[in-house]
Amino acid sequence: MKRALPIIAGILVLCIPLMVSNQFLLHLGIIVLMWTVLGVAWNLLGGYAGQVSFGHASFFGVGAYTTMILYLSFGLAPWYGMALGGIMGALLSLPIGFICFRLRGPYFSLATLAVAEIVRLVALNWEQLTHGPMGLLITTLPVVTLFGEPINWERKGPFFLIVAVIALSAMFATYLLARARLGSYLLAIREDEDAAESIGINTTRAKVSALALSAFFTGLAGGFYGMYFRYVDPDAVFPISLSIEMVFIAVVGGLRTIAGPVVGAVFLTTIAELVREHFEVGHLIFYGLFMMLVIRYLPDGIWGRVLRFFTPHR
Amino acid sequence: METFFQSLVNGILTGTLYAMIGVGLTVIFGVMRIINLAHGDMVMLGMFGAYWSYTLWKIDPFVSALLLVPLLFIAGMLAYRFLLKAIIPGGELNTLLYTAGLSLLIANLALFAWTGDYRTLNLSYAEVPLRPFGIAVPVPLAIAFGLAVLITVALYFFLARTDTGRAVRATSQNAEAAALMGINVENISMITFGLGAALAAAAGVLLVPSLYLYPTVGEILIVKCFVIVVLGGLGSVPGAIAGGILLGVVESFGAVYVSVAYKDTIGFIIFLLVLLFRPQGLFGARQA
Repeated sequence: MKRALPIIAGILVLCIPLMVSNQFLLHLGIIVLMWTVLGVAWNLLGGYAGQVSFGHASFFGVGAYTTMILYLSFGLAPWYGMALGGIMGALLSLPIGFICFRLRGPYFSLATLAVAEIVRLVALNWEQLTHGPMGLLITTLPVVTLFGEPINWERKGPFFLIVAVIALSAMFATYLLARARLGSYLLAIREDEDAAESIGINTTRAKVSALALSAFFTGLAGGFYGMYFRYVDPDAVFPISLSIEMVFIAVVGGLRTIAGPVVGAVFLTTIAELVREHFEVGHLIFYGLFMMLVIRYLPDGIWGRVLRFFTPHR
Repeated sequence: METFFQSLVNGILTGTLYAMIGVGLTVIFGVMRIINLAHGDMVMLGMFGAYWSYTLWKIDPFVSALLLVPLLFIAGMLAYRFLLKAIIPGGELNTLLYTAGLSLLIANLALFAWTGDYRTLNLSYAEVPLRPFGIAVPVPLAIAFGLAVLITVALYFFLARTDTGRAVRATSQNAEAAALMGINVENISMITFGLGAALAAAAGVLLVPSLYLYPTVGEILIVKCFVIVVLGGLGSVPGAIAGGILLGVVESFGAVYVSVAYKDTIGFIIFLLVLLFRPQGLFGARQA
């Protein structure tokens, strides 16, 4: 029964577009799921491996730009481009990982921040490729037929299904990772890196693998962002604040939990939508506030706290 | 050759102000092992304080510093006492995330109150630059440089000669041993946090006439600040001063000889190289 619950929940999520026809609600669902992917992806590295990255926006941006550029220059349909965006994110993460993982703790965090700024500045200034601050725009998406019927890209339903599949697979990947050998390596690294090294774990390789997986899903979400909003510019997909928001989703929801980022994404997106009516970036005030409150009073995050409430004391 | 000296002088002048921001961050790190991500926002508060006192009450920024710096000193102490103190036992990563939240809160409250417009403060005496040896030096930047040097020297004497200053250095070297010698580490931490905030505010006030100000300016300043502090070695005051001046000069040369668009990138690349090959900083001693 306990094992069936997540599967049932997943199937229910996939059925939502059949039952809900309100386009605004579906849009909200899409945003929540997109942030869920980002939170889950960040949590793979930040939660399970304990490596706090402040630079995940660079993988998101690279994914988004890959998707857009491949479509605009080579006519490659965005759903393939999206997968390549994820792969590009993972590829970019390899050199970044090998450089930044020479550093530990807060130094690693600062290094990722600097790398992300370098990537942002390159995207802003490499105008032949990215059109600089003007950004890239897709006007129409190509036609796809599924079961003999063309998919209607003007409606939200198909997008919802795509992002839901990405989110569920990211969560499933987390589930597998936590049970795999790599997951145990990461746990050992998080608890004591020197001890992990001394028992023969190749810590750099373990951390780089976790980063690559994390960057893959982040890039995938970036590609989805490009396809859904059909417009990207460096300010939208590369800012520091985007990296920080990913951190918040994972921390507020609950580090090292599979469903935590969902809770974090629902919670923070709700705040954002409630506040946005009155003030464009007002939600960031609340993000900051909740971040502080959660670290002070709920270090396990909201979902982590709920889980602890239900599991008997050991 | 003239361009060379002009950019060298510009670099040193801005670099001194960077150094002041860096020193604030580095003393806080030294004593409390907090990397304060909200440090840039304290600079921003200093800038806006000076801006509003000039716009509303016509108080010259260099005069309003006398009011703003003590104000931020107290605000910093309160922030430590009521916000950060409880977080520190949770470890470095927790404080990092906590101050990230604090930074987002301050910056966006400021954005809410003052909108995201880019503002400038035009002083009447800023129009004609000084021209010693044919090098143009804007008057406010020259005054700011003088004051920054003065403040840095005062800080040096505070740390080197006063009892409180010695206690700060002792806590920074070894908090436990300092506590055993009868130093009240909590009070020293509170004073140090106030000091860091005051230095940030002072740098903000001094920077106002030479920089655009907007509520999220802290985001850029904090990243620069990390570059400075890592260049000099985290926790080292002389290192932060040298790092600040170095970054100022590198940026200024980069803008002239490489490209304006990539001048910030140069700073980051140096930052990464230093982190990788000399993580103790260019001037820091190797630590365990």
